[in-house]
Amino acid sequence: MSEEEVCPGEDRSLPVRSSIDEGVTSAYPLRVPHLEARDLTRHYRMGEVTVRALDGVSFSVERGEFVALLGTSGSGKSTLLNLLAGLDRPTSGSLRVSDQDLASLSSQQMSLYRRNAVGIIFQSFNLISTMSATDNVALSMMFAGVARRDRERKAADLLAAMGLAGRRHHRPRELSGGEQQRVAIARALANDPPLVLADEPTGNLDSRTSREIMTLIKTLNARDGKTVVLVTHDTNLASTYADRQLTMLDGTIVEQAPA
Amino acid sequence: MTLGDTVSLAARNLGQAKLRTALTMLGVSIGIASLSGMVSLGVGLERQFVSRFTNAGLFDAITVTSTRAPFPGFGRSGRGRGPVPFGRRGGPTRVESAEPAAPPAPDPPLPALDDAAIASFAALPHVKDAYPNIRLPVQLTFDGLSEFGAVVGVPLSTRGQGAFQTMRFGTFFANDTDRACILSYDLATRMIEGDASKLIGRELTFSYVSKTQTSGDAATVPPVPSVPSVPNVPPGVAAAVASRRVAVTCRILGAVERDPAVGGAGVQALVAGVMIPISQAKAIDADSMTSTTMAAATPNRGAGYPAVTIKVERSQFTKDVQTGVRALGFQTFSIIDAIEDATRAFIILDIVLGLIGSIALAVSSLGIMNTMVMSILERTREIGVMKAIGGSDADVRGIFLVEASVIGVIGGAAGVFLGWAVSRVINIGANIYIERQGGTAATLFSMPWWLILGAIGFSLLVSLAAGSYPARRAARLDPIQALRHD
Repeated sequence: MSEEEVCPGEDRSLPVRSSIDEGVTSAYPLRVPHLEARDLTRHYRMGEVTVRALDGVSFSVERGEFVALLGTSGSGKSTLLNLLAGLDRPTSGSLRVSDQDLASLSSQQMSLYRRNAVGIIFQSFNLISTMSATDNVALSMMFAGVARRDRERKAADLLAAMGLAGRRHHRPRELSGGEQQRVAIARALANDPPLVLADEPTGNLDSRTSREIMTLIKTLNARDGKTVVLVTHDTNLASTYADRQLTMLDGTIVEQAPA
Repeated sequence: MTLGDTVSLAARNLGQAKLRTALTMLGVSIGIASLSGMVSLGVGLERQFVSRFTNAGLFDAITVTSTRAPFPGFGRSGRGRGPVPFGRRGGPTRVESAEPAAPPAPDPPLPALDDAAIASFAALPHVKDAYPNIRLPVQLTFDGLSEFGAVVGVPLSTRGQGAFQTMRFGTFFANDTDRACILSYDLATRMIEGDASKLIGRELTFSYVSKTQTSGDAATVPPVPSVPSVPNVPPGVAAAVASRRVAVTCRILGAVERDPAVGGAGVQALVAGVMIPISQAKAIDADSMTSTTMAAATPNRGAGYPAVTIKVERSQFTKDVQTGVRALGFQTFSIIDAIEDATRAFIILDIVLGLIGSIALAVSSLGIMNTMVMSILERTREIGVMKAIGGSDADVRGIFLVEASVIGVIGGAAGVFLGWAVSRVINIGANIYIERQGGTAATLFSMPWWLILGAIGFSLLVSLAAGSYPARRAARLDPIQALRHD
């Protein structure tokens, strides 16, 4: 596995960024497109029926921007997020992230993209239940070939930045929902990606914890300059934290509006 | 992802399902125990077989004759080396040797197998010793015992070798001048009741028919016989034909389990005998009416000793020395020739036993595959997470292959131990039975290092093969589908 292939915008030589505490400003100038979709489609075959999950989506997101994808269930927002995450490939159209066309990447390059260019936060946390919080955070660094001591130190720093310094040896089932999501956020930041994708990150949390998690994500955007794409069906959440809202319906973006 | 990380991750995963991992490893270990046990039986039996010849000092021994007919006793010397006339290196083919009907007139004379020939053998590279095979029919007398037997000449260079490696009791010759002899244990037990070692220091008398009228002391008889003798004439007949019987007395030094079987001729080896230093045997042979040493060549046999034994430095030189001796015009025979077919048969036996043993391993490989497939089903979501956070197909495949390898190596090592332990128990049981039946206890199973390492390596290979399909399946999982998996 080639570890030399680093995605644009990634610099693994940077020291550990416990930047939430340090208040580091964005490393990227604003108003430069970070990701750009043009006439993006994603169709599935289900028996004889073709499902048009995405049906000609075009939009762009600037570096350091916080964009919310709004829409009802089945509107295509999660499909779009999967494409942005490099977990899926479009049927047609182009999707450029950090100036590389995701559709043209090989499977191995996609893995590198997911490892270095993007951090994903899931609704159901998706932590590995048999691993401690530290090991969960360190896992993506393990795939990146970071030495054990370095990745454990960085994982400890990230967990401390999430307010989980005393919980790093706990397994997911020993943590509350909010704590698990904090671990997941720390994991998403492990390889210091410029883009953070959050898929209904507060869907399984109570309102107070939801606010805490959203504040954390907002901090990543505002203070660390991470580009954030948030998928949610909660318009209040979107309007409170996002710079811009894209509303989807039946596989298309029907409305683009500032929050 | 480094190999060390892959191994630690795989070990952690296996540790999560300890019982299932342990049962899978047990399956592999039973398969490997079956395989290694079977092969170790084959190896053990082969070693038993080979060691009988090695202990007899026959692997590094070549018997040289100067005859036109195929070497007697084995009927194998026609195999590419029947009669070897001068100028025909390599010998004729089987067909040629089977048809020795060539006109006798053009046949070149056979070389004499005399002391000069022995000296030329000794000068060949890798030859440790060369000495004539002297085996004389004698009449043995000891207390009330009187029986027909044989006296064999033994070179002092065989001290601690072959049959003399493990003497039943007593010591080897100190020199070749003392009138001393070593008995075959079989003869010793007939000579005395009870503890045969009480024979040490006692005197044994053997007599032969001399063709001269001189003193009965064998040491003083003329070294060269004047006329060709008649071989294998019973002493009584010889006495009637010629002159007188000469009695030689020797002090018994000890006994060996087996006759040293000079010459490698199995038939001769069966005759229980008395062993004396070769120089004394040569002197007696020269004086004996029944000497087989010939002063003049016959059409089918060269002059001199009937056969000469060459000892080579190591058994791997046996073939080379045989070639060198044949180049001098003599015929050669080595037990290696006879044992080649047997060795091939043992290889086939090993393969058959290995195949039988592999059946259990094949079953256990299915167990590995099943375990891995189950593991993938259980960990589908985990695999999806790994891929979503940057794990490549190769990373995922590597984790599962290493898990299979760990099962294979640990199961293989445990299996070798299990196979060894079970074979030890069977061996002990078998030896108890063999000894009750009057046989000699033997090591029936042998587990050399190559078998131990080979079995573990084979276990690793089988595990990798069994794990490759599940690993490929895990690597190809669609991360989106995997993340949706419950």
